[in-house]
Amino acid sequence: MAYISLKNVGVNFPIYGAGANSFKKTLAASVTGGRFGKETGVNVVQALSDINLELKAGDRLGLIGHNGAGKSTLLRTLAGVYEPSVGEFVRRGSVSSLIDPSLGIEADANGVENIMLRGLVMGMSKKQVDELTPSIIEFSGLGDYINMPVRTYSTGMMMRLAFSISTSVQADILLMDEWLSVGDAEFTEKAEQRMKDVVSGAGILVLASHSPDLIEKECNRVIHLEHGRIVERDPQ
Amino acid sequence: MTEISHSNLHRTAWGDWWEGTRRTDIWWTLAWFDIVLRYRRSMLGPLWLTLSMGAMVGGMGPLYSALFGTELSKFFPHLALGIIFWTFFSSIVMDSCNAFINSGNYLKQGYFPISLFVWRAMARNLIQFAHHIVLYIPVAIFAGISLKAHALLFIPAFALFLLNAHMLGLVLGLVCTRYRDVAQIVTSVMQMLMFLTPVFWLPESLPGRAQYILWNPLAQMLELLRAPLMGNVADAHNWIGIAIWTAITLMAAGFLFSKYRRRVVYWL
Repeated sequence: MAYISLKNVGVNFPIYGAGANSFKKTLAASVTGGRFGKETGVNVVQALSDINLELKAGDRLGLIGHNGAGKSTLLRTLAGVYEPSVGEFVRRGSVSSLIDPSLGIEADANGVENIMLRGLVMGMSKKQVDELTPSIIEFSGLGDYINMPVRTYSTGMMMRLAFSISTSVQADILLMDEWLSVGDAEFTEKAEQRMKDVVSGAGILVLASHSPDLIEKECNRVIHLEHGRIVERDPQ
Repeated sequence: MTEISHSNLHRTAWGDWWEGTRRTDIWWTLAWFDIVLRYRRSMLGPLWLTLSMGAMVGGMGPLYSALFGTELSKFFPHLALGIIFWTFFSSIVMDSCNAFINSGNYLKQGYFPISLFVWRAMARNLIQFAHHIVLYIPVAIFAGISLKAHALLFIPAFALFLLNAHMLGLVLGLVCTRYRDVAQIVTSVMQMLMFLTPVFWLPESLPGRAQYILWNPLAQMLELLRAPLMGNVADAHNWIGIAIWTAITLMAAGFLFSKYRRRVVYWL
């Protein structure tokens, strides 16, 4: 059963910029008793702080906020990428992340190989990927191009492939950064239908977007993030 | 201020390590594609690995045996195994430094146990090594090497090597992701160690007081792997040295892995 709970969750990024990252300075600081402390003092960006949130099956959560408000970091935290620096995080149910579907596409590999690579990384077994491959190929509509290296694809074709793989499995929790719309008119229609199926099949949807209309349409709960904090909830 | 955090996704260090280890299908496929894609557009493909190593060994063998004044049939197998194993060692060490940095695109997508990416780097190097070691067969035939039962010591030696490579991979991967200078340090240290290790030269040509050079862990590991394939038996000090070294890497890896395995992604 899909369930997510965040209690006082904070995510702090240490920023090791040019300089602060260097071994030399840390070493120098440790032998000189921290005299260079100011130089090695690591800047910490509080990407998220005091996030309290509880999501149950049926919840459709919209995340809004300016660039850098922490929407993507929150999505990544929910995906399990960042273990919270503070707070309590509980998540139950399988997760499908559509945060950046084209991440990890190998340009020199062909379509079928990319399906295998992505599928494995998404947590499927080799056998499961093999079973799903024909339907993914068919959905992508790439035809014979599926056996060509991905670098020969147009941007639209690549997105079609990435989209077809990423949406091929149904998960309890769906994480999305903006609505995925890809391809030409004909494919967009198919993709819209697929998106609707995937979204309606998921117990929980978390969608970050800059479009008020989209949030209005898809979500029944909204949180507004500013500087990594929740400043507004709807419903309260 | 002490910060408390709790996540139900959190596994124990051991559980996390095992989770990455048991997904052989993922790391083996990733490693396989690493090799296949690198040679995709060349006609001979991964055979280039064998050919370029063959050219190196074939070219250096006669030259160095003349330089050192040793008989070619005695020197050739020593040199061939030296170069092949050294290439294996150094490329596995370099790859370990970048194991997590190069897998950043995966690590930023979801929860991956990081041991997976160390196995990926190791598997990739193992495939390369397999392309190199076949060259030893003609060399051994040329030198008339006959293997006896003690050649089986190669198996425990190789197992120890894999264990060490994995542990060192975890350590270097973590440290190099956090401190980007370390990869440079490692590169230059490995270059220096190549000359301090009997890769090219014969250990017996060392003057007595320089024998301590043979105590460096890479020289000991090389000796453990090389001796059985040449029909010799490695000195006991090599086994002891590597056992101690294994204990050290196990502890270092255990400590760093249990403490920082979930921090890596913050450092990418």
